[in-house]
Amino acid sequence: MKKTIPLCNRLFWGGFSSMEQRGGERKEEELEAPAAGKSPGAEAGGWAWGVVFHFFLVNVLVMGMLKTFGIFFVAFQEEVGGSSEQVSWIGSIMSSLRFLGAPLVAVACRRLGERPTSIMGAGLVGGGCLLSTQATSVPFLCVSMGLLLGMGFACLYQAAAVMTAKRCRTRLAFSNAIARSGMGLTFLIAPFTQFLIDFYGWQGTLLIFGGIMLNLVPSSMLLRPIHTQPPQRSSGKNQDPGALTAKEDSEPLAGCLDETARGETQLCPAQDLPTTEGVTIPHGRDVSGPVNTLDSEGFEKPPVESCWPETAAEAKRSSKSLPPPAKENSQPLLDFSPLKDPVFGIFTWSFLFSHLAYFVPTFHLVARARTLGISSMDASYLVSVAGVTETVSQLLSGWVADQNWTKKYHYHVAYLLLGGVTNLLCPLATTFPLLMTYAVAFAVFCGGFMALVLPVLVDLVGVQKLHSYLGFAAFFAGIAAVGGPPLAGWLYDYTQTYVCSFLFAGACALISPLSFFFEPSAQKWKLKKANLNRGPTLG
Amino acid sequence: LLLGVSGTSIEKNVTLDSATRIELSCRLDNKYSHLKSLQVIWKRGNETIRHINKTENSWSIQLRILDNSNLGSYSCTLKGEEEISAMFHLQVPTIEGKEKPIVSYEGDTAVMICKSSGYTPIAWTWYMTNGSEQIALNDSLLADKYAINKISANVTHLKILKLTKEDDGVYWCEAAFELGKSKGKLMLKVLSFMVPLKPFLAIVAEAVILVTVVFLYEIYSKKKEKHA
Repeated sequence: MKKTIPLCNRLFWGGFSSMEQRGGERKEEELEAPAAGKSPGAEAGGWAWGVVFHFFLVNVLVMGMLKTFGIFFVAFQEEVGGSSEQVSWIGSIMSSLRFLGAPLVAVACRRLGERPTSIMGAGLVGGGCLLSTQATSVPFLCVSMGLLLGMGFACLYQAAAVMTAKRCRTRLAFSNAIARSGMGLTFLIAPFTQFLIDFYGWQGTLLIFGGIMLNLVPSSMLLRPIHTQPPQRSSGKNQDPGALTAKEDSEPLAGCLDETARGETQLCPAQDLPTTEGVTIPHGRDVSGPVNTLDSEGFEKPPVESCWPETAAEAKRSSKSLPPPAKENSQPLLDFSPLKDPVFGIFTWSFLFSHLAYFVPTFHLVARARTLGISSMDASYLVSVAGVTETVSQLLSGWVADQNWTKKYHYHVAYLLLGGVTNLLCPLATTFPLLMTYAVAFAVFCGGFMALVLPVLVDLVGVQKLHSYLGFAAFFAGIAAVGGPPLAGWLYDYTQTYVCSFLFAGACALISPLSFFFEPSAQKWKLKKANLNRGPTLG
Repeated sequence: LLLGVSGTSIEKNVTLDSATRIELSCRLDNKYSHLKSLQVIWKRGNETIRHINKTENSWSIQLRILDNSNLGSYSCTLKGEEEISAMFHLQVPTIEGKEKPIVSYEGDTAVMICKSSGYTPIAWTWYMTNGSEQIALNDSLLADKYAINKISANVTHLKILKLTKEDDGVYWCEAAFELGKSKGKLMLKVLSFMVPLKPFLAIVAEAVILVTVVFLYEIYSKKKEKHA
């Protein structure tokens, strides 16, 4: 299986074997005897699989819930009343809040740490489900199901995504792809939901779903904050040939902040604190060039600056309580710096258009097949083949990207361009075999670029700022997601044919990678700015 | 005005909701026109009806449907070397109920919907099957239990409040047309809260156990780190 992975391998076989009750294939064979200097590193690494598993579970449950909303739709309409439009608002609030709530969640994550945020998210989702069983009117459902569930999903998703990025350094694309393959399993949830509704009614089903969502609490607990690591370990990692795009190694800082913020009686082991300063100085962000961590962070409001002065000043203290409030205030809660960053603009532009390009064809594929005279059985066969192909291609693309033969965003651009071309060619597909070819090709390219979204973002901005960037990027993507389906519907109404939607999607897919051509120049601009800022500060 | 084309045995359903005149005809397909000396009989049950030979290959009857007694099955039989027959079923519009039972909980409200497709009934009546009897549900009599709402001409709602276990069973919505009545079947299942609660509690218990396990493992590994 994945046991042949080079680097993560070494770190994983820590004390992880008995932890996994499910996902048997991810169990490590034996516990590597924790050698004295190795144990913190090995332990910390061993949780990466747990994080991937949790992300997988989040994908399955969150996406499953979103997709099966259609089944609840019918039940709600009959019992609670309300027009079709009103009830569909619940669904749209739920799915759009998942994106739009991301900036808020980014703030929460940085204040509280990923684990509490994720647990909170799971609690919100579970609570929302339970509350909805008492629903008697559509506005009530809008709030209880739409708002609470949407925010909960956003919390879960953001925390899991960022944690995956932080944990799986070298195999990020592949782990991301494994986790996203959870979306492929969601097709199982639909018949299950239908069965539950027939048996227990929609209220009983929601109750049971609430319980299932509560299962995300223990899996969220797998999102262990990154422990501090001794210097040899981290420098060894960075020198590994596999890690061409080294994410900034700020683990010690992040771990320290998380632990202090949570106020746990956990050890920020005293002997590690002085070393954190020593550790981070040689490391720099390869992406933006500058070697001096201090200064590169200096102009971009370091998220963990509050930890720095603390560790320096109180080196001997094993932190047990929250740092004094003054330090927290020095770091703005909602970090708007991504908005000023051209790299962010590049990424969001591409993210937005690629999302539009992804959603519109999936909506209209079946309808187009129908208008071409293909029976609905065959049409649903199209959809399932596309789904399976997409999952497989996600895994493949993740694996290929991790081989690091070239920069990840090159793959991303390639997939987007090919996907766009495929979409533009779609109107030529008028028979079932041709349409099937189109569906398979589209699924391959879609899976390819979807799997790479997170790794590309991490490549561009590094793990440190991932929260704010991902938060805002998701926010803008959410706007696209809200506008996408109505836009597609309007296109159809206007042109009375589905051909236009595919052409539109193709155009979007071709527009989106354009921004990546500006990436090298954007990096140079940032570098110049960094040098300019560094000039006066250097003594 | 209706046409039946015969080849082999055919049946056709004709839906009527109000009194009308109707003509049923059996027409022989061209490929059978070689059959000579055909004897055509229009029947309703055992009773023969006089027919009109409209053209060389078609025979029809004209009926005046005034009430329920005129509805039923009419057949035309062509006897030659082979016997070919066609059957017309004249009936009132059917009402569709629900095949799957409606699930609801004790103390809650259940809404049962009946629709008549296309034809507007004169009146709707709701029945509940209690044992072998059918009891009409009168909402004026039990106003705090049942509420019958006419949403539109073709749709009726029966709202049952404060459900109890006794409300569990089969319900009928009957539409009265000029020519007769038609029933739709609905089933109501009333569950107590304990029914879904049990799996829910089981899942929550499982989640709690997992949380405890993870928590304990963390404490254990922290202790190991401390000692290491």
